[in-house]
Amino acid sequence: MAASLSGLLKPWTPRVFLVRWSRYNPYYLEPEVRKEAYSQPESELSAEEKEQRELKMIRPIKAAASGVTSSVFSDPVLSKFINMMMEHGNKVLAREIMTQTLENIKKKQVEKYHKAPEGQKEEIECNPYTIFHQALKNCQPVVGLESIRKGGKIYQVPIPLSDKRRSFLAMKWLITECRDNKHRRTHMYEKLSQEVMSAFVHEGNVIRKKNELHKMAESNRAYAHYRWW
Amino acid sequence: MAASCVRTVGSFLGKCGNCSSSLNTVTSQLSRQVLSRQICVSTALKKNLAAGGPEKFTVEFIQKQVEEFDIGKRHLANMMGEDPENFTQEDIDRSIAYLFPSGLFEKKARPLMKLIFFPLHEAVQWGADGRPFHFLFYTGKQSYYSLMHKLYSKILNIEKHQDRMRAKGLFSQDTKEISLDTSRWLTKEELEVLLVETISSNNYDRFIQLMERLLSMPYCNMEEEFVLHYRRPLEARSKKQMVPVPERDDKGVAFSTSDGRRKTSNSSVVLRDCGSGRITVNGQEYLHYFPVLQDREQLMFPLQFMGLLGRFDLQCTVSGGGRSSQAGALRLAISRALLSFLSEGEQETMRQAGLLTPDPRVRERKKPGQEGARRKFTWKKR
Repeated sequence: MAASLSGLLKPWTPRVFLVRWSRYNPYYLEPEVRKEAYSQPESELSAEEKEQRELKMIRPIKAAASGVTSSVFSDPVLSKFINMMMEHGNKVLAREIMTQTLENIKKKQVEKYHKAPEGQKEEIECNPYTIFHQALKNCQPVVGLESIRKGGKIYQVPIPLSDKRRSFLAMKWLITECRDNKHRRTHMYEKLSQEVMSAFVHEGNVIRKKNELHKMAESNRAYAHYRWW
Repeated sequence: MAASCVRTVGSFLGKCGNCSSSLNTVTSQLSRQVLSRQICVSTALKKNLAAGGPEKFTVEFIQKQVEEFDIGKRHLANMMGEDPENFTQEDIDRSIAYLFPSGLFEKKARPLMKLIFFPLHEAVQWGADGRPFHFLFYTGKQSYYSLMHKLYSKILNIEKHQDRMRAKGLFSQDTKEISLDTSRWLTKEELEVLLVETISSNNYDRFIQLMERLLSMPYCNMEEEFVLHYRRPLEARSKKQMVPVPERDDKGVAFSTSDGRRKTSNSSVVLRDCGSGRITVNGQEYLHYFPVLQDREQLMFPLQFMGLLGRFDLQCTVSGGGRSSQAGALRLAISRALLSFLSEGEQETMRQAGLLTPDPRVRERKKPGQEGARRKFTWKKR
């Protein structure tokens, strides 16, 4: 806990420059942008949530990012994906590609909906956001492999992955697969929509890559005890 | 009575031999009245001064001295023929300079009638035999070191308690923790005020380390009161917000103005409570000025968050920076202008959503020996 408060609230440069530092003092907390978080009266996780609220009353809060709003249309997963797709800071283009992808997915699903017989109409998912989220979830690996040096040899050891790392890997694989392995004359949004639709039904290259990783981890199960953390 | 408050030249000489050099003769005003009445001091009285132990300046004692000073002041005013009610300190100084003219060059050596409160440590610290009262006097920072000793003895007590619990088999890690989130440690200055002596930053760091060590032990709630004595509560951040003053223009429409900054953009917004929801930026429609959806979303963000989208009319001016930083500057200005139309709880939710913090991120400078702010030149082995 910091001792003098006035020094903490100015734009800050650390005394020792670590490799990753930010202009915010570590004292600042992350902002909560969603409206629903503020409408809950008293019916939450009593101890932890209340402590968190107390802390938020006392501590200064960072400014909200410029890609984030409180509207129903802003999605943190989608924002992350757009940022990952962005090249040379061209957010306009990345966002354009994303909206075209979602539009494309919606078009295809609506076509299928109209062509389907009566009994199967309810099963066809038309919401592109749910399709995208489900496809990303399907692409997430459960375990990852880490190179660990033991006795001069390098082994690929299966390790558990955190949630953030898993979603990052899923998004990264999706983007690289679309950039590298498809025909160069197709647009990015077409490639992405094809890949997302196939990931939704557990097909496609990304799912295959995930399954190969799982198989490798399973085969290297014997080395799992090499992990010391 | 007035004479008792006036420092006499004789008592200055008398006390010199006994006291430390920091002890100004003016303390005679607050210390023994017996001494301050006399012109010269005998050796018997010198011993009497120091024999009493460390001075106990209680509140009653100080109040009594203040009363006596007031009575003396009124006597002096009467003597000078002036109004006793409105006799200020400058008048006192003038009167004493008139009544007791002194040719001494050192201004501080001249006769003085004033109430001066000295910090506690300037009182006498040793007895008649010259032995100091506190066993840590020769460390130079007796109260600091005695505090550290006390703290360490508390740590040892807690460890003994832990051992006893372990012996009985009742030791458990999950005892009630002291809640530390809403308070902060004393700053070094505050600690100095508490201890009445100066400490170095090393000393302060050691003190905090020892406190943290105390808090890391399982049974620290035994000493909760002691720990909380050295912590100050943090006040809620919402009280430190500057809310712009709402005004009314000639048509009776309430409006408020505020500024915002982001990177190198500066913006100013006039928020009018019309009910139309029109936004004008630098004279143009916001749809023309911000063709990108993200910027328009940022403009709408504060209003949408509070649910007041169609209620206000915005007249904005912005200059400098790029597309996104102008939008960010406008967002900050809109949030600030909106504060005057909101209640306290809503202001707090805006703050927790991050709308009221100015973004401190600016472009990082390029460093010499590197190609950019972070990018280094290509590493060549030879």
